[in-house]
Amino acid sequence: MIKHLFKLIWNKKKQNFLLLSEIFISFMVIFGVFSFGVYAYKNYMAPMNIKYENVWVINYSNTLKTENADSLEMFYSSLKQNIQALPGVIEASYTSANFPYSTSMMNNGITYKGKQYFGVNNYRVDDDYLKTLGGNLIEGRWYRKADGAGKERVIVINKKLKDDVFGSGSAIGKYIDGNNSKDGRRVIGVVDDMKNFGDYQPAKYGMFERIDTSYRKWVGNMLVKVKPGADAAFEGKLYKTMANALKNSNIEIEHLDDKLSSTNKFTLVPLIILSIIAAFLIINVALGLFGVLWYNINKRRGEIGLRRAIGASGNSVSGQLVAESLILATLSLLIGSFFAAQFPLLNVFDLPAMVYVIALLMAVVFIYLLVFVCALYPGRQAANIYPAVALHEE
Amino acid sequence: MLKNYFKIAIAVLKRRKFFTFVSLFGISFTITILMVATAFIDKVVNDTYPDKKRDRSLYVTKLELRGKDAMNGGGLSYYFIKHFIGSIKTPVKLAISSNWQGTNTYINDKKIAINYKYTNADYWDILEFDFIEGKPFTKQQIDNAERVTIITEDIKKQYFGNDDAPVVGKYIEADNVKYRISGVIKAVPITSYNFYSDIYLPYTVSNANFNDTGYMGIYTAILLAPTVNDVAKMQREFNQMAKKIPIPDIKQWDHLNVFADPYIDSYVRSGNENKSGMVYALTALTCFALLVTLLPTLNLVNINITRIMERSSEIGVRKAFGASSRTLVYQFIVENIILTFIGGTIGIVLSFISIQLINNAQLIANLNLTINFTVLGFALLICLFFGFLSGVYPAWRMSRLNVVTALKS
Repeated sequence: MIKHLFKLIWNKKKQNFLLLSEIFISFMVIFGVFSFGVYAYKNYMAPMNIKYENVWVINYSNTLKTENADSLEMFYSSLKQNIQALPGVIEASYTSANFPYSTSMMNNGITYKGKQYFGVNNYRVDDDYLKTLGGNLIEGRWYRKADGAGKERVIVINKKLKDDVFGSGSAIGKYIDGNNSKDGRRVIGVVDDMKNFGDYQPAKYGMFERIDTSYRKWVGNMLVKVKPGADAAFEGKLYKTMANALKNSNIEIEHLDDKLSSTNKFTLVPLIILSIIAAFLIINVALGLFGVLWYNINKRRGEIGLRRAIGASGNSVSGQLVAESLILATLSLLIGSFFAAQFPLLNVFDLPAMVYVIALLMAVVFIYLLVFVCALYPGRQAANIYPAVALHEE
Repeated sequence: MLKNYFKIAIAVLKRRKFFTFVSLFGISFTITILMVATAFIDKVVNDTYPDKKRDRSLYVTKLELRGKDAMNGGGLSYYFIKHFIGSIKTPVKLAISSNWQGTNTYINDKKIAINYKYTNADYWDILEFDFIEGKPFTKQQIDNAERVTIITEDIKKQYFGNDDAPVVGKYIEADNVKYRISGVIKAVPITSYNFYSDIYLPYTVSNANFNDTGYMGIYTAILLAPTVNDVAKMQREFNQMAKKIPIPDIKQWDHLNVFADPYIDSYVRSGNENKSGMVYALTALTCFALLVTLLPTLNLVNINITRIMERSSEIGVRKAFGASSRTLVYQFIVENIILTFIGGTIGIVLSFISIQLINNAQLIANLNLTINFTVLGFALLICLFFGFLSGVYPAWRMSRLNVVTALKS
């Protein structure tokens, strides 16, 4: 039966060519939008691991004239203590400019057993960073004050980096960038992946380095966890405290939840615009498909009448027409899937293969549904053809 | 003749209402998307508020240092602009302004986020902002490092409330410093990122150390040539000067790239000279336009073929009476272009509506899209192209129709 239908389509390949290419391109568009959507959804479902509510970030510029590392250190640790002592502040931590939802990035590479791992986000943080952001420690420990005094260089990494570098075993006590305590850095803790780039972007490789005295003068951001209900009046007070301590500095206070929603917009707005355009394109295609199928079926009144006359039921006639359309769609989908499969195979855009596979399956189902719906009505019309009338026309 | 074609086209359109609807839907929706996109690009690229002297200006926005395995790109330092760019002779004026930076101000226990930008005096001569009240600060005031500022209308509303009372001479507090307002201007949308800010300050009040001789910084420059004809000369002089700039830290860097570009080139310059911003922008735009037009075109071709096949008896009769294939092709393309223009007109109406919606939603503050003659011209061009593209193949198929088979059906 299918073989027979296939032959029918093949005989009219020239007429069907345009229809085939139209379905093919629709499939590619849908596949693209679905890949984007599935990827965003997958990222959205992963836990955030950052308790960003009531966390503010103070951006300042280091205007102290002194180059002396120790006096800088003294000044900033007492400034932090003053901030922490304010009623309404729960926790505070210095951070480099790449704090969550900022647009800033600092990337490094690390080596382990001769293998290099690139694109590791390097976060410069202090002892209270994890507490301020409410992150989870999976194994080992976070930094403490003694780490500043010790000679050994230690490092905290995130789970994603740990899984790729050390596999399923424990990473604690192992060395990266070297084999021993002399030139390597000992891993002391692993934290759960934080989605630093917003709800819809995945967590990337990350390592956390403790801010040391030599780095202090480059630091220009402080995260502050405040008590719920802190208002603009309190924010003004915080601002004044900073401004009084750091004369001539440019100071700005931002809220992490605001930053999160604007970061999310960067993924969502293009997705929404794309979806709207794709929806219109698909409506367009659906109407066109409907019209063309309808016309084609009308042209075959004679053939259909003959089939009815020799005993085919209405259902089998409409079934044949719908099946023909679906086979047409299958042909397009085969070509489309071939092209779509190149995306995970060639690793275009660096998305996980799973995303492409799910998007591919969804797009296939979607196109089948679309074609089915478009062919249904013309098929039913054909089933209502009276053999006598149709044959009389001939 | 054309009148006849027009009549036939309308008659055909009326005959199969469903097909007509599908065609018009596809055309008008495609035109709408392309027009909104064109309006947006036109706004970003061609809007000459506030730089009305754009054809006489060159823009320096990025500086790039490149070494074997390192690259550092970003804005320029004040020293670099003054010392190197300031040394060339052709420009009559040299505007210097910083990137915008954010700060907060608190008034009546309300927080207002303010972006500020440092400028020199030439900035206000080259750029013609619309002053709603007051005037720009003078060179004298800048040299004295007076704490004066020019604010936008939006900030005036936010800070001083909605009443229209003049605010020149009043004080606004930003970054813990009180500035006296010297003027209020019409705001610029953030898409013109070279000019956007909420308040503008004299560069002398910034805390930066102007004795620092580093090259990288937060400033950009605009060079104004005496006449339009001198721009090319100014660019040549700039490039010669750029070649002679000593490269800092020879160990790390071996190339220094800095360019003075016309506005559009500077707008898309990515800060990485290995990748041309222009190529990126054009590729992205072409891909978008292709994606949006390809499907509706295919759809239209499909529908047109169906339509023609329906009219095969008419075509057979005309052919039998001696009409040449060329006449038929010509007739069909004209018919199709008429159809696209009807769709295009609906599309223009739809774009007016959607642009109104976009403007009212204030997706980007102060960005008011408009449909001007450039955009309309583009729309007409798109219509023509579209009609032609979707008409040629069906017309060709039609012209090859065999008279006998056509008449038989």
